[in-house]
Amino acid sequence: MELLREILDPEFLLRNSVHVSLLIGFVVPLFGVFLVMRRMVFLGVALPHISASGIALALSLHAWLGDFDGSHGANERVLALLGSVLFAGGALAILAFLERKGRGGVEGRIGAAYVIATAASILLLAKCPQAERGWLSLLKGEIIAVSDEDLRLGGGSFLILTVLLLVFRKELLLVSFDRDLAVVLRKNVVFWDGLLYGLIGLCISISVFIVGPLITFGFMLLPPMTGRVFARGMRQLALIASITGGCGALLGFCAAYHWDLPIGPTHVSVLAAVYFLALGVRRLVG
Amino acid sequence: MSDDAIIRLTDLAVGYDRKAVLSGLNLALRRGSFTGLLGSNGSGKTTLIKTLLGILKPVSGKVVRLGKDGGDPRIGYVPQRESLDPVYLFSAFEVAQMGLYGVVKPGRGIGASGREQVKQSLERVGAESFAGRRFSELSGGQMQRVLIARALVCDPELLVLDEPTAGIDADAAKAVGALLAELHRQGDMTILMVNHELHRMRQLASQLVWLRDGAAVQGSVDELLSRDRIEQMLQLELG
Repeated sequence: MELLREILDPEFLLRNSVHVSLLIGFVVPLFGVFLVMRRMVFLGVALPHISASGIALALSLHAWLGDFDGSHGANERVLALLGSVLFAGGALAILAFLERKGRGGVEGRIGAAYVIATAASILLLAKCPQAERGWLSLLKGEIIAVSDEDLRLGGGSFLILTVLLLVFRKELLLVSFDRDLAVVLRKNVVFWDGLLYGLIGLCISISVFIVGPLITFGFMLLPPMTGRVFARGMRQLALIASITGGCGALLGFCAAYHWDLPIGPTHVSVLAAVYFLALGVRRLVG
Repeated sequence: MSDDAIIRLTDLAVGYDRKAVLSGLNLALRRGSFTGLLGSNGSGKTTLIKTLLGILKPVSGKVVRLGKDGGDPRIGYVPQRESLDPVYLFSAFEVAQMGLYGVVKPGRGIGASGREQVKQSLERVGAESFAGRRFSELSGGQMQRVLIARALVCDPELLVLDEPTAGIDADAAKAVGALLAELHRQGDMTILMVNHELHRMRQLASQLVWLRDGAAVQGSVDELLSRDRIEQMLQLELG
């Protein structure tokens, strides 16, 4: 309890890390529910890494253009966010287009996108050691130094994305569950699919920008999978996923702070433990 | 071509990726008729109805849909239930409720009157007792009833069913057949049903469209299901 009180104290040194963990924990699983339901989990693995490669490009571009000043001021932060959004959005648009055209194997394309993005990030950052250090800590899920600006960006954008997701959930679920019926009912399925992909893409790119791909993917996947174990309906699934994510984030932060562990991997480990515990309980209860 | 057609096809070719599976289709679905769409596996039955419904674009030719008010008719669609992913945790009621999404504005919820409509539609097909159960856990026959309730909830002028009795046991298939016959008797709804069971078509349909070798033949049930015609269509010696 003492630990919890310390962590939740408004004057706590790492309060931004706590707040951003809780924000990601409660919000990202809501979008993850759609990835799990639409059987696009592989996309959930690849997209954060593609998004991270956009950040890598933005942070190393100056070195590739011959400017070796590695000060990385505010301009680079804006560029990094832009890179993250553009890469995630572009990859989603291309993969969704190819999926609709039914060309090639989906898993193969996503796997290739993942490995190419990771390799490209490493190569791009080889020119700028300072950016490489920052990117590696992002990759490892080190979120000790979250700025007020990043927290505001995350809070504001996640609020808008979540409101849109909740307001249009009826249409987004319809095009996900029965696209043909949506067409028969004269719904603009390209628009609604585009909106869903856009919301997921923005959620991933902003989350990757603030906390990196490991935490993003962990919260995107594990809480919805835990929700699947107990939920009897779609509303319950979203609720359980969000609560699991939020509580997992708090628990993960407490564990990481108490035992001086890296925050990202601890978050994911806690979420994984909760998932396996849920599976065990389900098996016992029947 | 009859003037009271609800759907009219003119020189229609249907298929995927601009490759025609069926071509030269000139057919009309008469308002209030019960039409059966017959054909062997891969003959293009589903491709044709998806084109009629606007899910697929025609390779060439024209599909005209004529509602009573001059616009598009209200359409109820019952897909093959295997096309619906069981991973979604919808209740039978929630699935039936989707039939109303065409008339509810984006971002708006279903009101009390809408929920009452869904309840009545489920009662109409005898699905009210399992309305609260998870859709993916229902039997094949129960799922079909829910999907028919979903199609009926918007009070359709045209009901299109894709293999509604496929993969369900004989009793359930008989019950679904009886339900469709009753629905057709009750109102002036036009029904188009894909099926490959000749005996069921004989029981239910008044008109048939038989797909074979990339073309379609339209006629009455008596005409197309006569022994000679079946032999001719199947190119088989019977008995």
